[in-house]
Amino acid sequence: MRRLTGYGEGEADRILSREEEILPSSGFAASVMGAVRREAAAPPPLPFPWKRALPGLVVGGFVLVLVFVGVVVAIAQLIRASANTHFSMSLPSVLTPVFGLGLQRNLEIAASWTVLALLVAFVSVKLSMGLVSRRA
Amino acid sequence: MSANDDQADVERVLAGDISAFEGIVRRWQGPLINLAYRFCRDRGRAEEMAQEAFLRAYRALAQWRKDAVFSTWLFALATNLYRSELRRIPALTVSLDDIAEPPDARASDGGLEDQDRDLAVRRAVGALPAKYREALILFYFHDMDITTAARSLGLPEGTVKARLFRGREILRSKLPQLLAVPRLKEA
Repeated sequence: MRRLTGYGEGEADRILSREEEILPSSGFAASVMGAVRREAAAPPPLPFPWKRALPGLVVGGFVLVLVFVGVVVAIAQLIRASANTHFSMSLPSVLTPVFGLGLQRNLEIAASWTVLALLVAFVSVKLSMGLVSRRA
Repeated sequence: MSANDDQADVERVLAGDISAFEGIVRRWQGPLINLAYRFCRDRGRAEEMAQEAFLRAYRALAQWRKDAVFSTWLFALATNLYRSELRRIPALTVSLDDIAEPPDARASDGGLEDQDRDLAVRRAVGALPAKYREALILFYFHDMDITTAARSLGLPEGTVKARLFRGREILRSKLPQLLAVPRLKEA
């Protein structure tokens, strides 16, 4: 072991090397051994219940994919509908209600998907927060 | 303290004889409690922290690779625990700016002035930023052996040297009269 030379000169070394020694209390070793025995007697920690959690995880993943696909489809429809609306401006006024209704329907679909996505996000956040607080 | 005793006890514990762990506890309780005390400056808390260190050592006993001395492994484990404990609940310290040198700091004829000076230096060490404080604590705990201090901290020797140097610079700037380097005083 190598000792650092040049650090042993100052007053700080003299003071900090002269640290008072404290003695363990009489029951310390017994207390540690008690804790060790309790530790040894305790059942091993429960493994994560993958068998139980797997169906839930699969369903959760499937719902997430579904929501994602739904949102993408809704957005695509919305874009197409808005393009049609621009197109309808140049159409005769007889055709306008047809395209107007289509746009309204698309908006409703998009809104329902958005609500569903928000709902799923809210539930998953609440669930994870609940799990964390239960662990702490 | 014999490294062979430690190894024999570890092997017995790993073979299922829990009572053999008591030998390890009895051999290392003093050093582990004293190291904890240097971190937290509280006897009760030092014992609690040392007990937790022994418990963690018991849990991780199978991870001790016999190429390192048992005490080196145990001190590194304990130091790691003490550092995180002190980060979680810091010891009561005063700010470095609030530390004043005792009057007539150079008078060193023993008695109360020595005690005041010691107290001022220890308080100043306690108020240092954690990385400098830890380096100083381990350095003096291991009788100024930088290699062992570095192993306990899990840091390269160069890093520990740099932290010691910087920590001592801060101390010297806060307590200039107490900690003036003798060579400078003579110049």
